[in-house]
Amino acid sequence: MTESTRVVRHRLLDRLYHWLMAAAMLTLLFTSFLPILGVKFAWVDIHWIAGVILIVLVFFHILRAVILLRLRDMWVGPREFIAAAAATTREVAGGERVNRRQGKYSVGQVLYHHGVALVVITASVTGVMMMVGVDSPFWERNPLFMSEKTRGLVFVLHGLAGLASVSMIMVHVYFAVRPEKRYLTRSMLKGWITRGELEAHHDTSRWSGDNSDQR
Amino acid sequence: MDIFRYRSDAWGQRVLEGVSWDLLWVFVGAAVAFIVFHAIYTHRKLKGQKGDD
Repeated sequence: MTESTRVVRHRLLDRLYHWLMAAAMLTLLFTSFLPILGVKFAWVDIHWIAGVILIVLVFFHILRAVILLRLRDMWVGPREFIAAAAATTREVAGGERVNRRQGKYSVGQVLYHHGVALVVITASVTGVMMMVGVDSPFWERNPLFMSEKTRGLVFVLHGLAGLASVSMIMVHVYFAVRPEKRYLTRSMLKGWITRGELEAHHDTSRWSGDNSDQR
Repeated sequence: MDIFRYRSDAWGQRVLEGVSWDLLWVFVGAAVAFIVFHAIYTHRKLKGQKGDD
């Protein structure tokens, strides 16, 4: 396939971010839930180190998104949301499938991103608060940093963020392996989609590839 | 099934410790239910489209 038939979808830095984030998230989930399921090992250090790596990755991603990436690709207006929800409801109720061409991302993908952002930021903020209670290279442990009431709330929010991550990752992996979505998975590995895939699935007036961008 | 975990503090009072890990299976189940529903729905939809062609 020639370069001219390929359309850049994810640049190397964005792909690296995605896969490093995936590795950090999976490490965090395995080190938190395996001990609960009875697999005993020294998980605390691995868990907080993966958490710190995730926070650093997210920090750089936010910086890069704000400075270099098109934030409008990640925006869903109320009108767009209502139209997408109504079309999906009609379709599920047995109506005609309308071929909704999307911009770079579908409404569902953008909402999923925002859901993950909420979960990761909640887990990060509460995780740092919990980390004050354990020894680390950053500080000596201070078990009295929070009141009992605050501590309970922080642990609930951290736990809920972890549980939500399990569901979100399962659904994410499911869509990644679906046949009609595999071109998107390939683009997260190799960076590109074909011009045919662009024209079949995307509204080219809203997004026609990142080939010309200097990012 | 519990939603929260509690423990006793130094004064014997019941304090919130975190979310109950019983909920892990609720979150796993919700994801599995969504995946199964979506897979069946998409399969039937695609089959219907092929039939129309």
